[in-house]
Amino acid sequence: MIHSLFLINCSGDIFLEKHWKSVVSQSVCDYFFEAQEKAADVENVPPVISTPHHYLISIYRDKLFFVSVIQTEVPPLFVIEFLHRVADTFQDYFGECSEAAIKDNVVIVYELLEEMLDNGFPLATESNILKELIKPPTILRSVVNSITGSSNVGDTLPTGQLSNIPWRRAGVKYTNNEAYFDVVEEIDAIIDKSGSTVFAEIQGVIDACIKLSGMPDLSLSFMNPRLLDDVSFHPCIRFKRWESERVLSFIPPDGNFRLISYRVSSQNLVAIPVYVKHSISFKENSSCGRFDITIGPKQNMGKTIEGITVTVHMPKVVLNMNLTPTQGSYTFDPVTKILTWDVGKITPQKLPSLKGLVNLQSGAPKPEENPSLNIQFKIQQLAISGLKVNRLDMYGEKYKPFKGVKYVTKAGKFQVRT
Amino acid sequence: MPYFGSEDVVKELKKALCNPHIQADRLRYRNVIQRVIRHMTQGLDMSGVFMEMVKASATVDIVQKKLVYLYMCTYAPLKPDLALLAINTLCKDCSDPNPMVRGLALRSMCSLRLPGVQEYIQQPILSGLRDKASYVRRVAVLGCAKMHNLHGDSEVDGALVHELYSLLRDQDPIVVVNCLRSLEEILKHEGGVVINKPIAHHLLNRFGCLIPNEEELFDILNLLDSFLKSSSPGVVIGATKLFLILAKKFPHVQTDVLVRVKGPLLAACSSESRELCFVALCHVRQILHSLPGHFSSHYKKFFCSYWEPHYIKLQKVEVLCELVNDENVQQVLEELRGYCTDVSVDFAQASIFAIGNIARTYTDQCVQILTELLGLRQEHITTVVVQTFRDLVWLCPQCTEAVCQALPGCEENIQDNEGRQALIWILGNHEEGIPNAPYVLEDFAENAKSETFPAVKMELLTALLRLFLSRPAECQDMLGRLLYYCIEEEKDMAVRDRGLFYYRLLLLGIDDVKRILCSPKSDPSLGLLEDQPERPVNSWASDFNTLVPVYGKAHWATIFKHQGTDHCGPELPHTNFSYARQLISEENKERVQELPDSEALMLIPNCQFTAEYFEKTWLSLEVAHQQILPWQGEVHPDTLQMALQVVNIQTIAMSRVGAQPWKAYLSAQDATGCLFLTELLLEPGNSKMQISVKQSETRTEILSRFISVLETVIGTIGDMKS
Repeated sequence: MIHSLFLINCSGDIFLEKHWKSVVSQSVCDYFFEAQEKAADVENVPPVISTPHHYLISIYRDKLFFVSVIQTEVPPLFVIEFLHRVADTFQDYFGECSEAAIKDNVVIVYELLEEMLDNGFPLATESNILKELIKPPTILRSVVNSITGSSNVGDTLPTGQLSNIPWRRAGVKYTNNEAYFDVVEEIDAIIDKSGSTVFAEIQGVIDACIKLSGMPDLSLSFMNPRLLDDVSFHPCIRFKRWESERVLSFIPPDGNFRLISYRVSSQNLVAIPVYVKHSISFKENSSCGRFDITIGPKQNMGKTIEGITVTVHMPKVVLNMNLTPTQGSYTFDPVTKILTWDVGKITPQKLPSLKGLVNLQSGAPKPEENPSLNIQFKIQQLAISGLKVNRLDMYGEKYKPFKGVKYVTKAGKFQVRT
Repeated sequence: MPYFGSEDVVKELKKALCNPHIQADRLRYRNVIQRVIRHMTQGLDMSGVFMEMVKASATVDIVQKKLVYLYMCTYAPLKPDLALLAINTLCKDCSDPNPMVRGLALRSMCSLRLPGVQEYIQQPILSGLRDKASYVRRVAVLGCAKMHNLHGDSEVDGALVHELYSLLRDQDPIVVVNCLRSLEEILKHEGGVVINKPIAHHLLNRFGCLIPNEEELFDILNLLDSFLKSSSPGVVIGATKLFLILAKKFPHVQTDVLVRVKGPLLAACSSESRELCFVALCHVRQILHSLPGHFSSHYKKFFCSYWEPHYIKLQKVEVLCELVNDENVQQVLEELRGYCTDVSVDFAQASIFAIGNIARTYTDQCVQILTELLGLRQEHITTVVVQTFRDLVWLCPQCTEAVCQALPGCEENIQDNEGRQALIWILGNHEEGIPNAPYVLEDFAENAKSETFPAVKMELLTALLRLFLSRPAECQDMLGRLLYYCIEEEKDMAVRDRGLFYYRLLLLGIDDVKRILCSPKSDPSLGLLEDQPERPVNSWASDFNTLVPVYGKAHWATIFKHQGTDHCGPELPHTNFSYARQLISEENKERVQELPDSEALMLIPNCQFTAEYFEKTWLSLEVAHQQILPWQGEVHPDTLQMALQVVNIQTIAMSRVGAQPWKAYLSAQDATGCLFLTELLLEPGNSKMQISVKQSETRTEILSRFISVLETVIGTIGDMKS
């Protein structure tokens, strides 16, 4: 299925390769580089590239390309998901999925790849199980290892592999038993010139961090489960139970995992927490233009909006920008033409604004289209869809766990057209 | 990266590996080995220390073992004799008390890819299959596939296959899954793993609960229902595919499934991972081919946002074009209009083409938008708009007037090849709406000398000749000069020949030119450029969740050909295949292709007979039908063979070209197992082809159907030659 894997950094060096079925020469990546060159921007490299003898399926994560070589027909989604899983695992093990981290831990990387795939087919991909096979590096452990000469490899076989519940190992023990849930919602929206919503949707996930001893059986219920119209579940969730009672009932994996992801998409339900007043104009036959944007709160349910950043990709003819922010700081990169304004949080008494002059290349025609504003923000303690967890019950174990739920709303692909 | 000077590095490492002091210190020893691995992964040739590394494999340190095995798997094919030394250690490890060591050793041993290693690995694999640790069984199961590959895919070990089939009942899910994959790979030349009812039930049961009532499709569907809600899009799409295939005979169930999967698929389309989005969008397009209205109410999901990568934007635009309907057309067009001025030229052009596509249904609105775009006077926009206009006036003649009004002036903004070709074509064909057409063409004609693209010159010749017929006074002089230039000075042969052709045509007199050039235009509704009709779900269900929706079928076919995995003996390469399809003319094609689908006669592809078997059967049967068909001239065996292949009739033997009498023997088998053996006979000097058909079961109805298929093919080939 997956013949080989190449890891390529942004400057086009192949810094790691792993072959499963047979050794495929590095030159196969030339097709990838060709596509990369054609795409101009790294983001635009197509994920599936066909070459005369292979298909290359790649993902782009954290400035690295994971390029897999395929020789037989495969479900592409499967390969892409697997590659993401590899990247997630690296992230999980090393804290970051960067070239430096991978190079530093090259041995563990190989051990992981070896365990995750054999003959091109997945072997073990649950991070729980991998962590038992190969222990993640910690500073303490590497010190201990260097003294005792012992290794990161588990001496016994993971018991989870033999338990009836493949995602949970047996015999877990904690002194503090904790179960935390993060409800994270992202608003994807396109707002048009006049401020009305072209498209808006909430993508939500509930991430869990469960550190409970034994084999706990949890059930999580919501105040308003009907809100969730399109839900995907972690395999641990009993689907029948959800269908009949709208309760999430499950034996959780140990540690961090994504419990569900959901969408709320009916247009009228999606509250848009910020508005932007903008006036961006370029004059015909003149070398300057005006730029003026103001951000204010709207439908924010009384919560503070913080961590606001505005990014604008200015047209090519813009040479420089001379702006004054009332709050925060801005940068303009004349090479990439990207304006970034780090706003901070909104105080409703004094709305943050950024205004000033734009210098254009003289003689060039005025840009056809005004740039789009890309906005990032964060609202703590609020799930914008109104989703609320009702209660969490635990069965099967005797102790009393600590429980907690945190809500946060973020901007996803939030774009304002001007 | 230190690609050069690797010899020094190898020497140094070799020394370090041999140093007894280092060998005694476990940590230092492992560090040296790590350095070897690091160099190896950076593309340095480290095969020089193979011997030393083999020695290092005899250790209790499991990390060191892993590293050494990794090294050996990489270089074993280069040093086969030395690698055999390592096998002893590996064999010993295969019976280590620690299951991880057993698994590791077995996996490495199977990955050595050495010639002749099979005899050593067979025993460990067999014992691995019965190992009590599932970890080892997982490895052993995949090892079977690797061993089979080493054998050169030639023979299938029956005992091993049997063993694998029994492991399908293993309690570990990954053993079961990998078992299926191994079987699939080992048995690929026999059509893959065979799932009989007990195995299927067993596998289905592994999904969760028991099926109460056997053989019920809906029970299976219910059982697998929850997979449509999985958080992994791969599982969702995989389950969808299974449903679509299981419900092959129930189109309404298929539609229901597609409705159910709509949500998850849309979610995947806005997934965090762009790559997933892309593939999901490809699948959305696939579904839209069959159910055009399926996603119409969700059209806003396919609006592009500024920061998305191009490949996603392009897919979204395609999707938008396909889901447009009366309710959303206004919004979709407004949105697309916005994309037309995007900074990315490719994306802007794709959006304009998309508007052009929508214009086939919603002509007026689209032509208006396109006309406005011309006003921007941007080169890359104008050229594409003109190209869409060309297609439009051809497909929707009612918009000709509007297009003609929009065109004047835009010639100044077209530089590229295709754009000018399109403009010239419109000017030549619709001069009645464009008063200044001759003067625009005059500019082009005057610059013909500096024109570098032959295609533009050819288009110019044709357009000018057409224009000359309707407005001779304005064009005569210009046409004369252009013809003179093309015939006397032009270097491109095609252009020169076209010039000569027109010149000679003009010599025949103006009436003849008119008759030939202005004969009725072909009716676009005849089909060539027309939209494809809705395809039934079954036509693509088996390609769902493969790479086909992303890249199209033809491409895989070529890749497979390169690999030589197409193991079906004398079957023809796919490229020729499509050629044969073209050979069958449009109207016959329908007939020919419909027939294999009809319930009464379904010829199965790839039925292979040996010549001996054919001969034996041929002699034992009576002629069931004999018929004479008209035929002229020689036979081109390749063409005939290809055409027959298209309708699943195989050629067993054929005379050489020009042999007299010329004979061919054909075989085919229908889904019920009935054989049709056919002899084609062409007597010398005779303009008739005699066909004799023998049938293994006497069934006159399907015999007559078979004969009509044969007739069609032979008739078509015959027509084409005459």
